[in-house]
Amino acid sequence: MASLAFRNLFRNTRRTVLTVMLMGFSLTALIVFDGLMRGMITLMVDNITGTLTGEAQIHRVGYLENLDVDLYIDNANEIEAQLQQDISLQAYAPRVITGAMISSSYNVSGGIVYGVDAVLEQTVSKVREAMISGEYLSGEDSELLIGVSMAELLEVELGDRIVLTLSEVDNGELAQALFRVSGIIEFGMRELDENFVFINLASARQVLGMSEQQTHEFALNFITPLDMANTNSPLLDKLNVGEIEALNWLELNPDISLILEISRYSSVMIGAILFLLASLGVINSMFMSIYERIYEFGVIKAIGTRPKDIRNLILFEALFLSLISCVMGIALGAAIGAYTSTNGVAFGEMEFSGIALNNAIFTEFNIIQFTQFPLYVVLLTVIAAIYPARFASRIIPSDALQRSL
Amino acid sequence: MSAVISTTDVCRFFGDDEETLVKAVDNVSIEIERGEFTALVGPSGSGKTTLLHLIGGLDNPTSGSVKLSGTNIAAMSGTALSDFRRDHIGFIFQAYNLIPVFSAEENIEYIMLLQGVDAVERKRRVSEILAQVGLEGLGDRRPNKLSGGQQQRVAIARAMVSRPEIILADEPTANLDSKNGIALLDLMKELNESHNMTFIFSTHDEKIMKRASRLIHMQDGKIEFDEKK
Repeated sequence: MASLAFRNLFRNTRRTVLTVMLMGFSLTALIVFDGLMRGMITLMVDNITGTLTGEAQIHRVGYLENLDVDLYIDNANEIEAQLQQDISLQAYAPRVITGAMISSSYNVSGGIVYGVDAVLEQTVSKVREAMISGEYLSGEDSELLIGVSMAELLEVELGDRIVLTLSEVDNGELAQALFRVSGIIEFGMRELDENFVFINLASARQVLGMSEQQTHEFALNFITPLDMANTNSPLLDKLNVGEIEALNWLELNPDISLILEISRYSSVMIGAILFLLASLGVINSMFMSIYERIYEFGVIKAIGTRPKDIRNLILFEALFLSLISCVMGIALGAAIGAYTSTNGVAFGEMEFSGIALNNAIFTEFNIIQFTQFPLYVVLLTVIAAIYPARFASRIIPSDALQRSL
Repeated sequence: MSAVISTTDVCRFFGDDEETLVKAVDNVSIEIERGEFTALVGPSGSGKTTLLHLIGGLDNPTSGSVKLSGTNIAAMSGTALSDFRRDHIGFIFQAYNLIPVFSAEENIEYIMLLQGVDAVERKRRVSEILAQVGLEGLGDRRPNKLSGGQQQRVAIARAMVSRPEIILADEPTANLDSKNGIALLDLMKELNESHNMTFIFSTHDEKIMKRASRLIHMQDGKIEFDEKK
């Protein structure tokens, strides 16, 4: 039956080729789409962790709920010592963060002030890379980097004065400090560009009335990046003691976690739609093939072929059809995937749930694209062929023979 | 002699109500003995092919029984009926009845594959039967590379190779020219005599009628008369 089934595929080469193309292209589309989704997720994760957040952060417990300036880490030097000794860590940067009223000579806006260590910050975020004009922080007291959108709102340029009005820690007293715009930055993320300013860490501590041992946040990057495949770190487990909480980027962005989950499931949904359409094509093709051969089925059934053998014949035909389709789909998917994983696919500047996707997306290969997906093609094709196979096996020889006589 | 085929009051009606009811075969009782070379004759629509299909277990009678070698095949269905046909009945159809993707040899071998005959025996029987039907050297050709007469010879070889007791042929010479038709009939007659197989044909063909040992004339689904030569 297997031999007969294989040969039958080449009786109507055009139909077989069209069916193979339908299923093969569906598989190719799924492989490429899945590769793109994986590439997009990687890009999203890179943007989340690389722009400002880092791969993990350390805070005082409760700080993240309201960004309360009074909930600072009091023993920052001890934690810093721990971080310096940990071999899994690539970089860290302390930050002092507060909400503030940001005023220029022309306008005023609420915003978030980041006090950062000019040197260490470069190792965990893209603040320096985001500079579009002026100079990066050098450690001088009055330096301030401002997001391009906020600069437009406040109508300030390089060298213009900015006054920060904020509450000191512990006592809540209002404090003001004068800065000059030393640089303008553009992350490409609306939220950051409209609301964030960066000043030197020492200046921030001074304005807020904090000592050198006090900080609000440590941003961390690891030698082996905490990506989608691995978000756990023994260091974070070790740091999660008492009043200190250390969270990875996924825990810091629970809404992003949902988006990434949806992105992953979109491959499943697209695959289901593609394969449903391909399955309908297979059923149609199989029925056409059966109707064309109905007299022949009548003959082979008349001479003693059992119904189950006829059913198996059709299922074998579907199996071979799917295997040929898989070879084509895999080859084409691998070729397109290889090209787009090297050259990327440019979608222009996009912001997806607050995450900028302004770089080309490079598709990513994964073993399941070449194992599970083809297996689905084979299974679905054979399942789609069950109905036509049952139909063929139930053909009544006398009816089939009379149709053509 | 014992009856190898026996039908008793067999009927095959089509249609559900009085107006559309067609009595294709109406109360037909016949007995055919081993080795007979019988022709079912009559005009189109007289019920020849339907009766042949009932005898071959290709269709189920509305009522009555069809016994082949004592087995009531009207009561059989599915796999049991397929197996019975495979082992006891050979079929020759009007034309175009070979599997087009198989060679002549493979077409003949196919039924033995279904029977589970081993490869060596299959090859031996195929060469033997090809010689008997005069197709030596043409076994590797596919049907589209054979003439109509040669294709029917392959069909005869396929029908006979499993050594059935009965061979049923539905208008076997209808698509052949006169010369090929006569040659084919002579071949079947020869095989009938040498192997003592029972042949039943449905036909309009005078040539078959002349060679048949028995003529069963049908009209409107009934046996008009039964003539043994």
